[in-house]
Parts: sequence; structure tokens; C-alpha cells
Amino acid sequence: MLRWPELQESFRIATSSLRVNLLRSILTTAGVVVGVVLVVLMGWTINGLDAVWEQTISIIGKDMMYIDKWNWAGGGNWRKMEARKDISLDQALVLQQRMESAEEIIPLIRKWGGSVSLGNTSLRCSVTGTTAAYGNTSAGTTLAGRFFNDIEERSADNVVVIGYNINKNLFPSQSAIGQSIKIAGIPYRIVGVIEKRGFLFMDFVDNEVFIPLHAFRGAYGFVGRSFSVGIKAGSERLLDIVRDEATGHMRSIRNTPPGDESDFSINEMKAFDQQAKNIRVGIWVVGMGLTLLAFIVGSIGIMNIMYVSVTERTKEIGVRKAIGARRSSILLQFLIESALLCLTGAVIAFPIAQLLVGSARFLAVSVFEMDWASVVSPIIPLDLLGIAVGVSIVVGLLAGLLPALKASGLDPVEALRSE
Amino acid sequence: MSQPIIEIANLVKRYEMGDEEVFALQGVTLTIARNEYVALMGPSGSGKSTLMNMLGCLDTPTSGTYLFTGENVSDMDDDDLAEIRNREIGFVFQTFNLLPRATALQNVELPLVYSGMPRAERLQRATQALERVGLSDRMDHKPNELSGGQRQRVAIARALVTSPSIILADEPTGNLDSKTGQDIMRLFGELWRGGNTVILVTHEEDIARHARRIIRLRDGRIESDEVNPHAPVA
Repeated sequence: MLRWPELQESFRIATSSLRVNLLRSILTTAGVVVGVVLVVLMGWTINGLDAVWEQTISIIGKDMMYIDKWNWAGGGNWRKMEARKDISLDQALVLQQRMESAEEIIPLIRKWGGSVSLGNTSLRCSVTGTTAAYGNTSAGTTLAGRFFNDIEERSADNVVVIGYNINKNLFPSQSAIGQSIKIAGIPYRIVGVIEKRGFLFMDFVDNEVFIPLHAFRGAYGFVGRSFSVGIKAGSERLLDIVRDEATGHMRSIRNTPPGDESDFSINEMKAFDQQAKNIRVGIWVVGMGLTLLAFIVGSIGIMNIMYVSVTERTKEIGVRKAIGARRSSILLQFLIESALLCLTGAVIAFPIAQLLVGSARFLAVSVFEMDWASVVSPIIPLDLLGIAVGVSIVVGLLAGLLPALKASGLDPVEALRSE
Repeated sequence: MSQPIIEIANLVKRYEMGDEEVFALQGVTLTIARNEYVALMGPSGSGKSTLMNMLGCLDTPTSGTYLFTGENVSDMDDDDLAEIRNREIGFVFQTFNLLPRATALQNVELPLVYSGMPRAERLQRATQALERVGLSDRMDHKPNELSGGQRQRVAIARALVTSPSIILADEPTGNLDSKTGQDIMRLFGELWRGGNTVILVTHEEDIARHARRIIRLRDGRIESDEVNPHAPVA
């Protein structure tokens, strides 16, 4: 049975012992400090990644899905997908007529290895032909100007909406709106600039330009290309209903016999979750490995110093036992001491971790101008501090267990005799 | 006569030192009643330290029985022994054995901490014990700020604070000059007259002479057990 006065006494002894051996205590905790710093950095990195990812998928559109010949997430049989018939503009338009549950049905056709040029400057980009409806999706939100409209589409104007990176690189100091750029040798008038959408490995989505379908046909033709059909569900809640309806129509449009597998894929932003998850796991594994290593080294140091402490205080243990300390009292005393030792390490580690986190973010945002980093928190979140404190206490208890058992098992007669 | 505090019968303690067996105690039988003042004497190697460890419940015998206030402690486990020591035995050591980083008051409080007493009551009783040994003005001093005699008084206060059945003093004046030693012995005399049971372990005749009964050990056996003719009157 544990008694409150004993617990208080244990804390008193532990704190006074740490104070007396302050320098020794601080040096001993070096391993724990590194461990805690690593835990915090790892947690912060994963949190940051999550924030960046959340930002990316919410900008590109959580309520969007894309019917495509290809499965974007890379799953499935590549050969089988290659053998699928292309999705034609006609199929996309029929789907547009039939769909009832969706807000927008948007045919998209894309050329990946395109380029735009302004004067002598030329930039690689992907060129997407689409309809004015794309401007109604979150992915089509403009930073400046507007998306091209129905009238421009119908009157076969050569208008273009450019991605964030294209704008930044071609027009670093002036407005792009109204300027003329060339795509496949044909001049286009810029009517809008899309806001930043891509972060981290999704950066490529900002290297894109949008032109009306007729212009795309003129520049590259539709032959040998498969359309992709963007469907805006209107809300995440409706995704299931819209997916079911779209699948049904699409199978009938493409004459898929009942029972056969669909010869198209429905892609949602969710599909990229796996990639984000892999990166997460990667950071976690590497971080955990380093952390574990630091804590093992740290706990060996703690264990060693606790053995020293037990030896130094053998006489004291004898006295305590003589006047009535039970095994559990002595055990507790040394466990608390070693846990507090580790906690000291955690307390030392926090400012260091905060400094690292703060500087990393500052460097990324202000020096290297990585815009995406601005969504990452510049301070260590509280739950991470909680985890680090918990972990360091557990490490302290584990590292202190053997020395504490040794102390509690000492024979009082022998212990009293020692000098 | 009330029940004796200590009843020992045929107590044997055997140690193994390498291949050799050493009998520290070879069948000791002894009874000590409440409010006795006993000196345990003997040259080194006589087994008196071993007997003292047994009496103090710091060690258990190889064979024989030890009844402490009627309870058989011969085969108790560590924690039960710790509880008996805490409740019933007040130790006074030759080297004082105070905790160096704790104040006099904290040192005296310690046995009560292990018996789980709440803080307010602890402080009250520790203060009383320190007053009793004449150290009420030194309560917040650490051992290194006290003289040898004062340290031993703190140790005696620590032994008294739980109101134990016996006070077990192992060479309590061994590290003190003779005048201070006499002061300490006077204090033990007062405690005994106040109703305490005192057991002294010593090899000094001068010190043993303060006791009412002197038990001499030799080679692990009781050599003599007699009333001290020189004892000061109660």
C-alpha cells in the first residue's frame, strides 16, 4: 500500500538530490534531451505535413471526382487500363445531359508536355482544354481576372487562364491580365490567373494553363486522347450518391455488359491520401528509429547514474530501512528520482525543439520562399509536449527500475555497515 | 509481571564465509521486561552486534525463536520487520546516521513519514521530541551545522518520536568526547526513568555501568547476566 506522506518524501528527496548533483543530472539527461527533441520534431513534421496536405486537397476540391481512363492513385492493372477505350467528348456530353445529382459536369482534355512562351521565355506546362464550368469549381478559383466564360467559348476566342507558377515566372512584376502569350505557336489573351493550389509533391498542378475546348482541338486535336470528366458534387456528403449515379450512366454510355468490370476509373482526392500516408509512415519510421536510439542511449546513461546514486547512498538506504522504510518506499524513492531526471531532460529539450521548429519554418517561408510552409504551425503543439513528457517519464521509470530494485533489496545490516 | 518485551530462546545465527561456517550466535536465551535498562557487552567477535541486529529486527535468526511483545518475528518477511522497526524500535547509532541534507526536524520526522502520519501531526510530534532532548532552538539546522553531541541528541529524538517499545543504542558515545558522552548517558537515564526500555550495546565498562543489568557475551554465548551493583538509583 502506498502512503501519501511517503510519496511526498520521495519527491522531496528526489528534487533535493537532483539539485545537489545539478551538473551531473543535466549531463546525464543529454540522451533524453535528444530523444525528446526528436519526438517533438517528428510530431511537428507530421502535423505540418497533414496541414499542408489538408490545404492541398481542400483547394483542389474535396467535393470533386474525375471519371478517367486511368486510376490516378496508380492501383490496378496498368495493361488493362491502357487497353480501355478512350473516353470521348461525346460520352462526356451525354453524361452531362443525364446526370441529375451533380452541380457541374466538366469535360477536360489534357496535354502534359506542352509549353507556353512570352517573347523569348518559354515554360513547360500542361495544357488543359475545358469548359467555362471549370471556373465554378474550387480548383478553378482565380487570384486575378476571371475564368473564361460561355461567350468566349462559343465565339471561339483564344483566351487562356494560367496557373499560379506560370504567372509567377512569366509576370513576376506586372499584371498578366490582358497580356498575350503563345501556346503551340498561337497567341492567347490571358483573362485570369488561378490561385495557388499545389503544395509539396502536388506542386505540378500550378504549372497548368486552361484554354477552351475548341482552342485545344485547334492546337492539338482530340484524336488519340482520352477525356476526363470532372464532376462537382457540390458537397462531400453527396459524393456517394453522385459516384453511384455517374457509374451507372457511364456504364450504360460505354455499353458495359452487366456483371463486367467498369472500363473507367472514378478518381477522388482521397486517392492521393495513400501517398500522403506513405510519406507520413516514412517520417514516422525514420523518426521513431532515431528517437528509440536516442532514448536507449539516454536510458543507459540514466541507469548508470542511478546505480551510482544507489551506491553513494547505500548508508542512507540502510538508515531509512532501519527506521522503518519498506521495500516499496525505497523502490519508489529511486523510481521517482530517475523519472524526475528524465523529466528534467524533457524540460531542457522543449526550448531547443521550439528553437529548431521556429527556425526551420522561418528558413522555409522567409529565406527559401516555400509558400506552402506557411500553413505549418511555428510553435510546438501542446499535445506533442504532453506526449514527450509522458515518454520521458516512462523512459525514466524503465531506466531506473533495476537500480531501484537493487536499492530496495539491500540488506539493512549490510547497508548500515557501508561507508 | 506484565508480558516481557523480548523473549529469545536458543537463538542461533550462522554465516557462511567462503567455505567456512561461522556461528555468530550459538544458542542465546534471554528475556527483557518492560522498562529495563540493559547493557549488552562483549569484545569484538563476541556476537554482540549480531545479537543487536536480531533484537532490532534488522536480521532474522538461523534457528531459535524471537518473540517481540509476544509476536514471533523469527520468520517475518522484510516488510513486516520494517513495520515492527518503525513502530516498536528506536535506533541510536554510534555514527548518528542522520540524513545530511535534511534538517534536524526533517530527520526526526522521518520515521513518522514511513508510518504514514499526516504532516501536521508529524511536525507536532517531532517538535516535541526535539524539545525533550533540549534542541528546540536547533530544529532547522542541518547535521553539519550541529556539534557531535547535538547530532546524537537529534538521533535520540528520532528514536523517541514513534514512542517505541525499546530504544536500542549501539555504542552511542563512541564518537563523542567523554563529557558529551556523559551528557548523552544522562539523557538515556532520564528516558529510562521516564518509563522507556533502553538497551545499550557497548564495550566500555564506564558506559555499561549506567545500566541496571549487564549481559556479557563471549563466543556467541551469554557469559554472564547480572544486576549492575554500581547502577545509579532510579
